[in-house]
Amino acid sequence: MAELRTWDPTVTSVLASAEACDRVGDLPGACRVSPGEVALVGDVSEAAVAAAVVRLDPDAVVLDVSDGWGAHSLDGPGSREAFARLSELELPTAGSLVGEVAGVGVRILVDGDRIDLLVPAMVSAHVRDRIETDCAELLR
Amino acid sequence: MTPGPLRFEGREVPVLDGDTVASALFRSGVRTFSRSLKGHRRRGLYCGTGECPNCTVTVDGVPGVRSCITPAAGGMRVERARGWPSAEHDLLHVADLAHPLMPVGFYLKTFIRPRFAWRMAERVIRRATGSGPLPADAPATRTTSRHVRCETIVVGAGIAGLTAALEAAAGGERVLLCDEFAIGSRLAPGPTLDAVRALETHARATPAIEILERYAALGLFDGPTVPLAGPDELVQVRADRVVVATGATESHQLFPGNDLPGVWLGRAASAMAALHGVAPGRRVVVVASTTEGVEHLQALVAAGARVVAALVPAAFVDEVPHEAEAIVDGELVEARGHGRLRSVIVRELGERRRIACDALVLSTGLGPRDELARMAVNEPVRLMGDVALEADEPALGGGYLCLCEDVALHDAEQAWAEGFRSAEILKRYTTATMGPCQGAMCGRALACFARGRAEAADAGSGARTTARPPLRPVALQTLAAPVHEVIEKRTGLHDTHVAAGATLGWSSGWKRPISYGDPADEYRAVRERVGLMDVGTLGRFLIAGRDATTLAGAVFAGRVEDLEPGRSRYVLALDDGGYVVDDGLLCALENGSYLLTSTTGGAERMDARLREWAERLGLHVHVLDRTSELGAILVAGPRARDLVGGLTDDPIDAASLPYPGHRELTVAGVPCRAIRNGFVGELAFELHHPRSNGPRLWTSLRRAGLDLGIAPFGLAALELLRMEKGHVYLGQDTLPDDTPAKLGLARAVDMTKPWFVGKAALERLAVLPSTRRLAGLVFEGAADGAGLRGAPLTIGAAVVGRVTSAERSPVLDRAIGLGWIRGGRDGFPSELRAGNAVARVVPTPFYDPEGTRIRG
Repeated sequence: MAELRTWDPTVTSVLASAEACDRVGDLPGACRVSPGEVALVGDVSEAAVAAAVVRLDPDAVVLDVSDGWGAHSLDGPGSREAFARLSELELPTAGSLVGEVAGVGVRILVDGDRIDLLVPAMVSAHVRDRIETDCAELLR
Repeated sequence: MTPGPLRFEGREVPVLDGDTVASALFRSGVRTFSRSLKGHRRRGLYCGTGECPNCTVTVDGVPGVRSCITPAAGGMRVERARGWPSAEHDLLHVADLAHPLMPVGFYLKTFIRPRFAWRMAERVIRRATGSGPLPADAPATRTTSRHVRCETIVVGAGIAGLTAALEAAAGGERVLLCDEFAIGSRLAPGPTLDAVRALETHARATPAIEILERYAALGLFDGPTVPLAGPDELVQVRADRVVVATGATESHQLFPGNDLPGVWLGRAASAMAALHGVAPGRRVVVVASTTEGVEHLQALVAAGARVVAALVPAAFVDEVPHEAEAIVDGELVEARGHGRLRSVIVRELGERRRIACDALVLSTGLGPRDELARMAVNEPVRLMGDVALEADEPALGGGYLCLCEDVALHDAEQAWAEGFRSAEILKRYTTATMGPCQGAMCGRALACFARGRAEAADAGSGARTTARPPLRPVALQTLAAPVHEVIEKRTGLHDTHVAAGATLGWSSGWKRPISYGDPADEYRAVRERVGLMDVGTLGRFLIAGRDATTLAGAVFAGRVEDLEPGRSRYVLALDDGGYVVDDGLLCALENGSYLLTSTTGGAERMDARLREWAERLGLHVHVLDRTSELGAILVAGPRARDLVGGLTDDPIDAASLPYPGHRELTVAGVPCRAIRNGFVGELAFELHHPRSNGPRLWTSLRRAGLDLGIAPFGLAALELLRMEKGHVYLGQDTLPDDTPAKLGLARAVDMTKPWFVGKAALERLAVLPSTRRLAGLVFEGAADGAGLRGAPLTIGAAVVGRVTSAERSPVLDRAIGLGWIRGGRDGFPSELRAGNAVARVVPTPFYDPEGTRIRG
């Protein structure tokens, strides 16, 4: 059984050259959205991140975009089975990826049986509804 | 409890436990189940496994249902699709007599001239063919979609499939086992069914095996991914390995009369007798050249069918029950009868002999059901069981090659003579294998035919035709299940609107307030006092980086280089053809970056467009979609400045925040970017703010506006407000080939710019005469404009345009609208008719044409 939890994430967007993004791409909670974009989930020092990337890309943008995101976490032994009902993406054992879940483009952080789905706030309710509907018997 | 009867073409047909639609109908005396596609020949039950098209009927309004595999239920309405006036007495059978007049490929050769001939013929052909009309009503149930991940998927739950599933599970794998039928449901009692039941019990007790019954595999795609169509559900299975255990079908044999009702394949006949208790005929002849065929023969006799003769090889002669005459090494020559089987001609020891019968049961060989495996390209696919067998070559002695498309063997011979000399080309010319069975019955026979005639050096011509999904007929709603997922977008004020009792409706994927109860008052609030609207659905994009201006200059047709920080400008995005794809408002920020607002419906398109051109031009630009992050509230009306000014310490007078311009403000403690906006034709401020602060800002504005007569307004009022200003709704008022000039938006294009997307096309189009444009219309003789939406605009009997938007304008006290009009050599018309109303062409905006109220 998996536990479903919905929470408000802290998200910082880093838009910079690929080389600059590499500098922050390995930070805890980092999700590489594209070669030129990294989303950092969790409390980070905006100033420190900016300092790290601006050296390599003076035009880099570092912005707190937390208001644009909702988060749903699936945690427990049934989390991967629940996820598979919503998406055809293949999950790594640990790490991050981007892709479609329940028809919505999301960012995903994986750590064992814990799967964090970062969902655009405007469709967060839809994804929560789909998880509850399609995975009902897998949820605690 | 016995199910109630089903209704078949006006009469009741009893249904027994375990009946399929076909078995119930057959027991009640139905022998003609369908009429063939072209010749309207009678077709009866044949394969009994859902492969052939013969038994397809319309059930509860849904055409193309395979009655031999569809469980019967009380109250079902069952009809046959083709036939006029009925399938039983079909006058269109005359088409079969005219077969020589309609040779293979006739539709490519005939009715060419005069040109109207094909249109006439097509109308007749369409009425005579087809599988019945599609239901007009939406399906009662929604088909859902889900994904399943496993290590091994086993398709087919016979002995081989069950064994493979148990083996994989024993090796520690998670297994999905699927079958298009309930496990064992198609098997007559006997050792095979006993073996299946034993394995099934074991599989059901194995937690690592998930079993999906009545789920048909539709194809095999990269991944490997196998989509399964189940009852009201599409399951997309991604697996590491695929085991195909789909078994084999009995060979479709070609001989004269092979499509007569009364000719059965062995599995269908023995299932009808053993499972449903109905003999396939009163006098049965069996042709059995395989072990399975002998089992069918014995099952028929055991079930009480009167088998008068059995053609078997010498090796099986001892297996023939004594009730039947054994004809050793005899040859089936022909089946005879008019509309149903009356006799067969066999050759025995060189002599032809006629045997009277009304059922001929054929079990002469197997062809692997390997279509799924043949779809795999470099995928980990393993064949198990009969599907791995070598196919038996079907006999090609005459009769019908393709039952679905009514293609006879002599049609294939004629096509070959005309030069169509490979299975793939024969398929395209004759349409053999292109019907509902997709070659399951006839594909091997077609390849065999081509192989038999091809030159030795041209071995490829006899190869099987390409296997393509879907393997089984599938409803469009099933295919659409994963595509048409309804995703409801909500702004940060959604709960606030619901609490306020707003009527919500769909708008480009968002749920938005249509009104808060009184659209007329909402309209008046904006024109006379102050109104409040949630516009958090607008697309919002940050364009930053040293090449931001270059990108904006490329994507938008107007001049942007001279846009100073704090100012904004209406912009149009065109495609390579010079056609308008979206519009928006570009706001220049202090640091060389821009905030772009786009239309609600065009946000995703705009995002893709900006990123595409940044990449194509190799620009150093960062694009951030802020649509989800930012809320936006439009404060509009003559008292808008009073309202916002009362909640901020920042200056918002016309000099500090001019139109069109923008600046950062703190309103009611909420950090906002206020953009002066003219969409509704009044003094207006669009307050873009962090989404989570939306409810607080909305409530503060409503409270502060009570003394000003504030009212929230929805899409209904907006429709009227924007139309009075002549503003265009992209999509509603536009067509895909609209240039800025056609929409009256040429002012948003700067042709002196060296380059922008679509400029070259606009230059080419500029030399062509203008033949169509969007015009402002006022209607005389129409009290309510809304009824005119979509109405054709006419001059005399000629339709020269169409009304795209129309409303009654309270402030102008008349019906107004927008619409397309066509012009000619003499320019555009100035007066047309829309229904009973006169439509006069007038310039727009209708309201405040000087724009003084916007600039206020």
